[in-house]
Amino acid sequence: MQVDERRLREALSKPAEYGEDLDLGEFEQESRERVEVDEDVRRRSLEVGVDLRRASSLTTFLQIDHEIAYRAVQKQFQGDIELMPIQEALERYPWVRELFWNLVSPYADKYTAYNALRPPSGFFLRILEGRRLHMPIQACFFSYSPGIIQSVHNLIVAEPGSEAYIITGCTMRRGDQKGLHIGVTEIFVKPGAKLNYTMIHRWGPNFHVRPRTGIILEESAATSYNYVLLGHVGSFQSKPFTRLEGRGATISMSNIIYLDGSSKMDMGGDCSIAGKNGRAELTTSAVALDRAKLTMRGRILCEADDGRGHISCRGLMLSDEAEIYTIPELISRRMNASLTHEAAIGRISEDQLIYLMSRGLSREEAESLIVRGFLDVSPLNLPSFLEESIKKIIDLAIKGF
Amino acid sequence: MLRVENLHVAVRDRLILKGVSLEVGDGEVHVIFGPNGSGKSTLAMAIIGHPDYRIVSGRIFFDGQDITEKPIDERARMGISIAFQNPPKLHGVKLKDLLARIASENGVGERFLEIVDRLNISQEHLNRYVNVGFSGGEIKRCELAQALASNPKLIILDEPDSGVDVENLELIGRFLSESLRGRSALIITHHGYILRHLKPVKAHVLIDGVIACEGDPDQILNRIMKDGYRWCERCRLMRGV
Ligand SMILES: Nc1ncnc2c1ncn2[C@@H]1O[C@H](COP(=O)(O)OP(=O)(O)O)[C@@H](O)[C@H]1O
Ligand SMILES: [Mg+2]
Repeated sequence: MQVDERRLREALSKPAEYGEDLDLGEFEQESRERVEVDEDVRRRSLEVGVDLRRASSLTTFLQIDHEIAYRAVQKQFQGDIELMPIQEALERYPWVRELFWNLVSPYADKYTAYNALRPPSGFFLRILEGRRLHMPIQACFFSYSPGIIQSVHNLIVAEPGSEAYIITGCTMRRGDQKGLHIGVTEIFVKPGAKLNYTMIHRWGPNFHVRPRTGIILEESAATSYNYVLLGHVGSFQSKPFTRLEGRGATISMSNIIYLDGSSKMDMGGDCSIAGKNGRAELTTSAVALDRAKLTMRGRILCEADDGRGHISCRGLMLSDEAEIYTIPELISRRMNASLTHEAAIGRISEDQLIYLMSRGLSREEAESLIVRGFLDVSPLNLPSFLEESIKKIIDLAIKGF
Repeated sequence: MLRVENLHVAVRDRLILKGVSLEVGDGEVHVIFGPNGSGKSTLAMAIIGHPDYRIVSGRIFFDGQDITEKPIDERARMGISIAFQNPPKLHGVKLKDLLARIASENGVGERFLEIVDRLNISQEHLNRYVNVGFSGGEIKRCELAQALASNPKLIILDEPDSGVDVENLELIGRFLSESLRGRSALIITHHGYILRHLKPVKAHVLIDGVIACEGDPDQILNRIMKDGYRWCERCRLMRGV
């Protein structure tokens, strides 16, 4: 899509609809450090599910600040997918230029505008028609230089009948590092394609995050869009949007959130069912500790026959200074649509604790088992090997990394 | 193994047990009968140390130690285990993971899988969350598996046979007759069925928070079957309790 630079410059001063407003001038535009893939980078990537030690055997994309540090396609999948820097894809394919900024508006707010004004960086991933990848594609976006705005734009096309698991980990070099991550992701899921897109994020108290995501699903396409955030984040705001365009499309957006410190998180999920028989499900399990504040905005709009939507939010409060606020919205424009929501926020049940203690677990052990159970990963629809590794990451987060 | 002395227990300021004494020797199986609401589960909860069940007076000794003041988890680690009558659901905690954990912390290791097998708990159930969507009978078997996975010295079974079909009663009964060997047990039950396999040495009848009667399990069960608990009430009057 053609962008209008004058409008972009205007949009640079436009706050986002939700979340804390940031002054972009307080951050660095360019990396000041020479990027190096060292042990720290490897270790922290692993904490967000990206195993760089297996980079040579798994399909991997590693971007540090704005530099593509590593890129490789697993041998057995060469010819099944294309993975390249977005810049390269924009040069090579006119149709990618057409798709670019189609699902997310560059004028939406200062973050998208900033992103659109910069030279694009990020990946282009295309899963070719009918190809089924049973091994995950891993991507890592690493913030390296202190104070930097890491601006990323990814575009994914899952061609008809294809199937893939994508895991993206985002993190940074030092826990106390200042910075801003603006991640634009546009995902096109063609008829009958299946995609599982799972993000694992780990940030710090001085780090701010503004993901901007748009997904479009064609006929019988199915997508799991999963977001896992562990620990502390300065501020976070996102409201990924999915349009279920084709008949019988299915989206499941799941969030697993373990939020501590004085984190401020405003997370949303917005689905619009436009194709007959579309199904949308938004699921959140969130644990709030310390002074963490979480707002959950779920919205499902149904304008198609036999559409179904469900929003569920379960919150576990582990502190009296924390806050969980849920705002579910359901909009139906069809008699035969069925939209539901449920929310429950509470503390750890004493009955459950005593039950586990009667089996010999200490109170602390019982609590941590219940919290881990609460952050159940089964809604993420992951294959068992990924499920296990994500469970381990969550376990580590609960133990305090 | 277990000695309960003149135990008075209150729940939410209401006195439920009003002076219960009993003693279960090493390797002995005892049974507790009593009408609904007589305080059987309350006695079980007091023995395991459930914090909602306040011991007003009296003492509990286990394995030679006074455990009256000990917290629930410590008692469990000392070797007391229970199969609850009405356990809670544990969303997100897989039965398999919980059993494996109980087993590994008590030196049972992989052998918990034998228990699971003998109790006819399927692989599918092992992968489910504890008690979530389990039927009544499944809950009972899952409780038994947990109670045994800790290799306890004393096991308390609170109505392990209620709501279990005949086939599974047979299975549970036979399995228990083997796995209780060398352990002490206190079994709360309404049915005589499960006792066929277990040969308890003594029965205690709890009525209205006191032991109204005790003695040979078969004899007592026969009388209860014939005359109901009225007989025990008379017995209590006779004993002048
Ligand atoms: N957790 C509890 N909260 C309130 N009342 C209780 C609780 N547990 C037991 N009780 C009361 O104590 C009495 C004895 O109950 P219980 O020990 O469960 O009897 P049984 O197991 O013999 O049927 C009943 O009146 C019951 O309502
Ligand atoms: Mg009872």
